[in-house]
Amino acid sequence: MALFLRSNHLTAILLVLLLCQLLYASGSVLVKGEEEFSEELLLKPLPDRKVLAHFHFETRAPPSNSHGRHHHLFPKAIAQLVKKLRVKEMELSFTQGRWRYEQWGGYDTISSNNAKPPGVELWAVFDVPQSLVDASWRNLTHTLSGLFCASINFLESSTAYSDPEWTFQPSLGKLRYGTLPREAVCTENLTPWLKLLPCRDKAGLSALMDRPSIYRGFYHSQRLRLTSSESGLNGVDSGIILEQTLTVVLQPNSRTGKIYSGKTNIQPSWSISSIFGRKVSGKCVLSKTSNVYFHIEKGLISELENLQKKNTNSGADKFALEGFSSNLAFELSVTPDKMFEEVDNLDNKSASVLYEFSIEKYSDSQPFDLGLTWKIPVVWSTRQGPLHASRFLMGSGNQRGAIAISLESTELNEDLPNIDGGCELRVDIFQVVPWYIKVYFHTLRVFLDQKPRAVADVIEKIRVSPSKDKVSPGVMEMILKLPCGTKSAALTLEFDKGFLHIDEYPPDANQGYDIPSAVISFPNFDTRMHLSEDVNKSPMLSKFQEKSPVLSYTEILLVPLTTPDFSMPYNVITITCTVFALYFGSLLNVLRKRVGEEERLLKSRAGQKTGRISQLLSKLSAKLRGKQQEQPQLSAAASSFISFKLVFKILLVAGIAVAWQYFWE
Amino acid sequence: MGKFSSTIIGFKKYCSVGSKSLAMVLFWLFCSSISYTASAETTMHTNNWAVLVCTSRFWFNYRHMANTLSLYRTVKRLGIPDERIILMLADDMACNSRNKYPAQVFNNENHRLNLYGDNVEVDYRGYEVTVENFLRVLTGRHETAVPRSKRLLSDEGSHILLYMTGHGGDEFLKFQDSEELQSHDLADAVKQMKEKRRFKELLIMVDTCQAATLFSQLHSPGVLAIGSSMKGENSYSHHLDSDVGVSVVDRFTFYTLAFFEKLNMYDNASLSSLFTSYNPNLLMSTAYYRTDLYRRKLEEVPVTNFFGSVMETIHTDSAYRTTLSRKNSKKVKIKLPLQQSMEHDERRLLSSNVQDQTSDTKTEDKQCPFTQMLNTCHNKMEKIGNVDSLVNYGLVIMFPLLVISTWLSR
Repeated sequence: MALFLRSNHLTAILLVLLLCQLLYASGSVLVKGEEEFSEELLLKPLPDRKVLAHFHFETRAPPSNSHGRHHHLFPKAIAQLVKKLRVKEMELSFTQGRWRYEQWGGYDTISSNNAKPPGVELWAVFDVPQSLVDASWRNLTHTLSGLFCASINFLESSTAYSDPEWTFQPSLGKLRYGTLPREAVCTENLTPWLKLLPCRDKAGLSALMDRPSIYRGFYHSQRLRLTSSESGLNGVDSGIILEQTLTVVLQPNSRTGKIYSGKTNIQPSWSISSIFGRKVSGKCVLSKTSNVYFHIEKGLISELENLQKKNTNSGADKFALEGFSSNLAFELSVTPDKMFEEVDNLDNKSASVLYEFSIEKYSDSQPFDLGLTWKIPVVWSTRQGPLHASRFLMGSGNQRGAIAISLESTELNEDLPNIDGGCELRVDIFQVVPWYIKVYFHTLRVFLDQKPRAVADVIEKIRVSPSKDKVSPGVMEMILKLPCGTKSAALTLEFDKGFLHIDEYPPDANQGYDIPSAVISFPNFDTRMHLSEDVNKSPMLSKFQEKSPVLSYTEILLVPLTTPDFSMPYNVITITCTVFALYFGSLLNVLRKRVGEEERLLKSRAGQKTGRISQLLSKLSAKLRGKQQEQPQLSAAASSFISFKLVFKILLVAGIAVAWQYFWE
Repeated sequence: MGKFSSTIIGFKKYCSVGSKSLAMVLFWLFCSSISYTASAETTMHTNNWAVLVCTSRFWFNYRHMANTLSLYRTVKRLGIPDERIILMLADDMACNSRNKYPAQVFNNENHRLNLYGDNVEVDYRGYEVTVENFLRVLTGRHETAVPRSKRLLSDEGSHILLYMTGHGGDEFLKFQDSEELQSHDLADAVKQMKEKRRFKELLIMVDTCQAATLFSQLHSPGVLAIGSSMKGENSYSHHLDSDVGVSVVDRFTFYTLAFFEKLNMYDNASLSSLFTSYNPNLLMSTAYYRTDLYRRKLEEVPVTNFFGSVMETIHTDSAYRTTLSRKNSKKVKIKLPLQQSMEHDERRLLSSNVQDQTSDTKTEDKQCPFTQMLNTCHNKMEKIGNVDSLVNYGLVIMFPLLVISTWLSR
């Protein structure tokens, strides 16, 4: 009986176990289907003999209520950060070098969204009541500084961040923005960034990131963008999306180019292994998609078409997939798997082409190594933004100066005069100025085509929050409406240089102080790429197809401030001490002087004119000779001298008295 | 910095309450000190931490960063994990625009070893490396928001290695060319650490000019200090790399690394073998060790106690019994604190004698002729044993002088 019961129990337990296992299995399948990771790399030759490499990694986590706290692919550190600080959206970038808008393009998604100002830039939107936003921001900066080995915690002080209202997105006061223009970016920042990827830098495309070759480049920008919709207000509950991009501009070794010594302007040939020093040996197994894209931009395509026309006269033949590798101008070492063509609505001339290479079929034994060999020199230009923005300092001296932002029109502006009916070009400018640069906003002047204009004519909307000393920076946001034919526009603002407290100077104060980049955006122009095929699979390409305004950053300005001589306190102390000593010393001397005493001292001095040692010697000699000393004689002489004087004085007075008497009688 | 004085103010308040409470406080202090010594004896060495500080800014101080990174690499190789290393680098050398080898730092002109590697974790860098932050790390007084990776989370069973390099002088070390850490500050921080039970043993290693002077104020027990040079001596760089364009390593660190390169995690080389490995002729300065605060014999302490993370393993039959036996041993030790302290005093005496002898041998090693002459002179002076006779001679000489002077003044 007992045995039977036991067996009954056993079966029950087994059943429960089985059920559990089944449930768990189904659960895991579900979760696996939801958390996604994709890796992509875009390569693009640039007109100035360089190569652009753009890595794009995207990790998606489903809303937390469906799977609890467990993550398969999504980095736990980021998930905790989002949950604890209630970050709705965040973008953090580490950049070294300056994006050259004229040579590397200013009208595509990469230049508008991934080309960041040097140093660290961070903005975040929080999903907390407005009074708690600053506290959340502070915690966020500290957390990120620990995560990414950088001094982001310097953004915690209220002098370092600002709250733009409409530049990034309408934020209702919950957005904070801060930059550290002089933050160094190096291996220690890239490594934790790579550790957020499920395969780290061990497999897949991220294995290409050989630190020396990346940091040898002309420009690198490492970016992390976080979007979470935990609150689920906007209907689509997409969970957390973590987008990590690394944009590098590299210079390929031009050894092969030197063979054509006659033609100096031939582009250097390169391959993945020559620019990164490594090859792609298969994809990251955890990734859903793993692709490499090769991008030929519009300018190059039209140039190639012209070449083909000249040579074959066979009309405009599109670059077919098969016929491509035997191109006139260059050759690709690997045949692409797929081709995307951009559909341009405005002109049917030519559009950029994207070639896709799938990494899945490559392995250790047969690594992927895309190479590009140029056959003939080709010169082309990239697509520019509507206006080229630059910023510079005016004035000299240590007291005042002026900031000037100048906007020069590019050829594109002439091409596209009318965008939305009224012939106007809208420009948004956002500028943060640290408090020690005291900007006078009333001195704002606007020049169109070198002619001064009334501010109200050009500026449609402006928001200014003046700086408060040691409390908050000065912020300026404005919307300009420029007439279409404008060739150049310039804005100037005057400022005074402030003084810092001696403790506030950095150790290398003589280097000067940075004014962070201004953000200049053109909301009428958008960087969307219209592709012929549906590319839902690829997060990077769908990002390219998203509508976003053309945006550019200006240069960082270096303002020299008056730096004190840091040994000044010491000097001041010594000088004041000397002055005090002189003053009080002489005063005391005067106060303490007793004239009678002095005279007596003088007398005795006169008595012993010779020094001590000579006196001793004379004493000694006198003793030796056995004679008496002459000192009493001396004193007698002195006394007789004094009496003679006295007698003379008395005689004089008596004489005067006698003369007086005689005269009056 | 204002927070640091808070404890002292607290004590003052206590004192002003009245004699009764004063007596109470004294009693409490006495009790706590007894219990404290007892606990310090009973705690085992449980973990290892390293605080590595490069205090110099600017490119020409490349070698200081290379020093620190070499130590970082060594310590990591010998088993201290990254989360237990606080690395402070005052400037960015690896990605400096003057660096011909981006993202690489070398400590030797053969360029065989890239110290920066792929996996370096810098906790404090650039402007963050200040005296304030350094003292905050040591004493553990941070703002609440500071992440764990930037804190020294050691406990009473920790062995801490504190390595510092930069430019220094008599009783100070410069931070960032603008601030100084004084020997008093360091000693104060160490004292606070001891009272907060943040370490069991602390090894301070300093590579700077006149490094020995930085230790002069230390009083806390369990502290061992090594400096690269004595008072009045400079610490020199080892060699110049003409490709990088600057000196890449300092002599003291170079020979320290030469010692460690031969070791792996399982070697049993002792601290005394490390100390004797420094050759003053090669260093061009005299390495200084302060051992009077340290209780264990240096011959018995393996270097991996500080530079690695090798724990003592106790072989027992079962897990249950060990806990029992440990409890017993605790009780026994608490019962006999007096006896123990006696023992320790004896040991300290012994060790100080040993140290004197070593210092004698050290002074003989100096090669400069002038200093040698001075030393012999000094020794001779010291060898005149009978002080009384010297005084008597002096009195005898004084007598005729007195006679002459009185005769003259007559």
